[in-house]
Amino acid sequence: MLDWLKNINKEYPEFWKAYLGKFEHKEPKYIAIHIKTTGFNVKKDVILSIGALTIAEDAVYIGQGYEVTIPQYRFLHDNGLSNDFVMESEQTKLSESQAIEKCVDFIGSATLVGYRLHNGLDILNEALEKMGCGRLKNEAIDIEIMYQKLNETMDKKYSLADICQAYKLNHEESNTTTEYAYSIALLFLKLKTRLGFK
Amino acid sequence: MSNIIVQQVAVFLKDFLPFSYLPDESLEKIANSIRVLNLNKNKTLFKINDSLHDCFYVVASGVIHLTVISDAEETLLNKCYAGDVFGLRPFFAKNNYQMTAKAREESIVYAIPITTFKPFVAQNSDILDFLLESFTTNTKSGSLMEQHGLISENIDLQEKQFDALYFQSLSYTKKPIVIPHSTIIKDAAQLVTNDLQDCVLITENGTPKGIATDKDFRSKVATGKVAFSNTIDKIMVAPVITVSESISVAEAQLIMLKHDVTHLCVTSDGTDQSEIKGIISEHDLVVAQANNPGVLLKEIKRAQNGKELKLVRNKLDEIIQTSLNKNIPLTHINSIAGEITLALIRRSIELAILDLGSPPVPFAWLCIGSQGRKEQLLLTDQDSILIFDDVTTDRYRDVRDYFLKLAKKATNTLEKVGYPICQQGHIAGNMLWCKSLTDWTKQYVNWMKNPGEKSNEISSVFFDYEIAFGDQKIEDSITDIVFNSSSNNQLFFDYLGNDAIKKPAPLNFFKKFNLEEDGEFKGKFDIKTRALMPLIDSARLLVLSMGIRGINSTYLRYKQLAMLDAKFSEVYLNCAEAFLVLSKFRALEGIKNDDNGQYINLDELSKPDKERLKNALMPMRDLEEVIKGKFQLTQFS
Repeated sequence: MLDWLKNINKEYPEFWKAYLGKFEHKEPKYIAIHIKTTGFNVKKDVILSIGALTIAEDAVYIGQGYEVTIPQYRFLHDNGLSNDFVMESEQTKLSESQAIEKCVDFIGSATLVGYRLHNGLDILNEALEKMGCGRLKNEAIDIEIMYQKLNETMDKKYSLADICQAYKLNHEESNTTTEYAYSIALLFLKLKTRLGFK
Repeated sequence: MSNIIVQQVAVFLKDFLPFSYLPDESLEKIANSIRVLNLNKNKTLFKINDSLHDCFYVVASGVIHLTVISDAEETLLNKCYAGDVFGLRPFFAKNNYQMTAKAREESIVYAIPITTFKPFVAQNSDILDFLLESFTTNTKSGSLMEQHGLISENIDLQEKQFDALYFQSLSYTKKPIVIPHSTIIKDAAQLVTNDLQDCVLITENGTPKGIATDKDFRSKVATGKVAFSNTIDKIMVAPVITVSESISVAEAQLIMLKHDVTHLCVTSDGTDQSEIKGIISEHDLVVAQANNPGVLLKEIKRAQNGKELKLVRNKLDEIIQTSLNKNIPLTHINSIAGEITLALIRRSIELAILDLGSPPVPFAWLCIGSQGRKEQLLLTDQDSILIFDDVTTDRYRDVRDYFLKLAKKATNTLEKVGYPICQQGHIAGNMLWCKSLTDWTKQYVNWMKNPGEKSNEISSVFFDYEIAFGDQKIEDSITDIVFNSSSNNQLFFDYLGNDAIKKPAPLNFFKKFNLEEDGEFKGKFDIKTRALMPLIDSARLLVLSMGIRGINSTYLRYKQLAMLDAKFSEVYLNCAEAFLVLSKFRALEGIKNDDNGQYINLDELSKPDKERLKNALMPMRDLEEVIKGKFQLTQFS
């Protein structure tokens, strides 16, 4: 609550200043994002990978995406988990601070779209704080809530697979965050026209 | 570094022309710049006279319909399915779109920017050829589209005049080989061979001067009369017979006969003083006629497997669609489609017999239900039964096993052609419906003497039958049984009558359509159960009760009834007309959606069409009264 007071004289890292600067001219675009974490605990859990795709003018720009895997050596080691598989994969790997810096750079001032995004964002914010930055300022939209609104069933929970199935999207084989982001992006386009907002 | 989605899209594209010409790296590059669009049902992507987009489109899922407006009517040019390319106009022309692209169902399309794709087109002539071809191909050149999945983009309204043969326009070679008259014969022959053509045009200042065909090479060069090192003008035939672009099949035939030539040169104004547009060969004429029913029947007889039969069946779809558009009477279309379907079934059985060896005893394969009435226009369920001659008990098992195998093979072939297996299992491959004559006699007698015992639906399907293959005598004996047991069988008629009129009403109290209230087809009108079935069932009932034999189609049944039962002849005639109107609605809907047309989307009908549909439902009430008067329906209600 007193964040602004606490940080009033604080010198932010360069990338964060650039990020804040972007909000002066907000871009009319969305970014479908999926953040894979180890769990729900803001303090203890960490981000494993991030996948994001750009949506603009009612189209998904599949070439304009961001994908990163963060090898969380310390976390995995502390919890006795193996990370051989992640290390051997061909995905881009960056250290947490680098990955997050790039991510913030990529999303800019766009509106974020995700599925139960709040948990991922909380952990992302936590990581940002460690790097001496503030919290993300982006607006965020949740497709589960959009779907609930559309069906007027606010108290029912839907998994991402449920929603995909309702719109006959092939989601079963998805396992990377980018594939999740792609499903989210398509669902967002479908729901958006149905709900009739610009 | 490209992400996994880009890679997946590239893999998807690789399966389709023209992208399969490109190496993987180029595909990824293209995929990288793709925009993915989601089109809700009935969303228009672009329409006629919209300014050009900066991209062309590939369907990823769903169906896109391309339509043009001609004579103030929307005409369907083409349906694009997954992998089809459309919207190519920005490549070749600067003016606005000439057609409308609309999503028939919820679809996802990939938009590929022209700027990204153009370099690849420039480098790869295969792609350029493909795009040009799909841009200009006449929509109706069915076989070509079958092979390449081409989507036509060019609309020549003359080419859409697809009436009978005499108005049908030709698709012909648009890029003939053109050489100057000083070319050496050997080189010319090489050119013809390389291009897989059968003639060359010899030009002077861009206008046709002469033509050299296979025949000339054969009779003048190969015989040694002219050495092949001579120039081509030594063997060419001059002058060339020229025709204009809008020539019809029949005209072309006449001109060829008149001048006794095998090739006609197409020029822009029809004289030999103008620009060359193409060559019409005898072969083109044959191809142009390939879509007539007689040729289809021949093709069916020669087909070797389900796949070939399917190609024929696809052509039948085209014939049905164009016939419907041209207002050719539905009874006529029904009988053509019926004959072709019958031939398909026959061929399937023949193929099965060829595979299994000749049958041990005579048998009859009867089509039942809609095909039994020759009213099967669309790819609806296949229903059939198999009756074989009586055999001694010790052989019964083997014989039945043989026929079951036969039936399974034949129905599988038909399934490949596109006729789904009946949901209730009314097919000959089912053990219940593959029996000896005695068993079938018992079965029919049982149905007719004890109606109402678990025989829902049975009546409607099993009493319309037509022999498709086998021994005519067997069919006759079944007919005898049906009519013998039906005379004075009041109970049976009462049951059928009840069955016929208890179908859900098509209109409600306020004369509004009763639509489906839930389920997959919510909000649509079930034309099959609410309108067609009562008419079909009533016709069957009346025909059986009057002992009229040998007439299977519902329309003819009503016509016959009107003659025999003068008191209600007006009602019957109205029903006959109504039946045609309703069938047509269903057929059009089925063709539009590639399904069996059972559910009609009323929102898509124009107001006059809705009125016509409503009027066609009116005679049903009178018919109901007739039936109520003739039979006592209270027993079962």
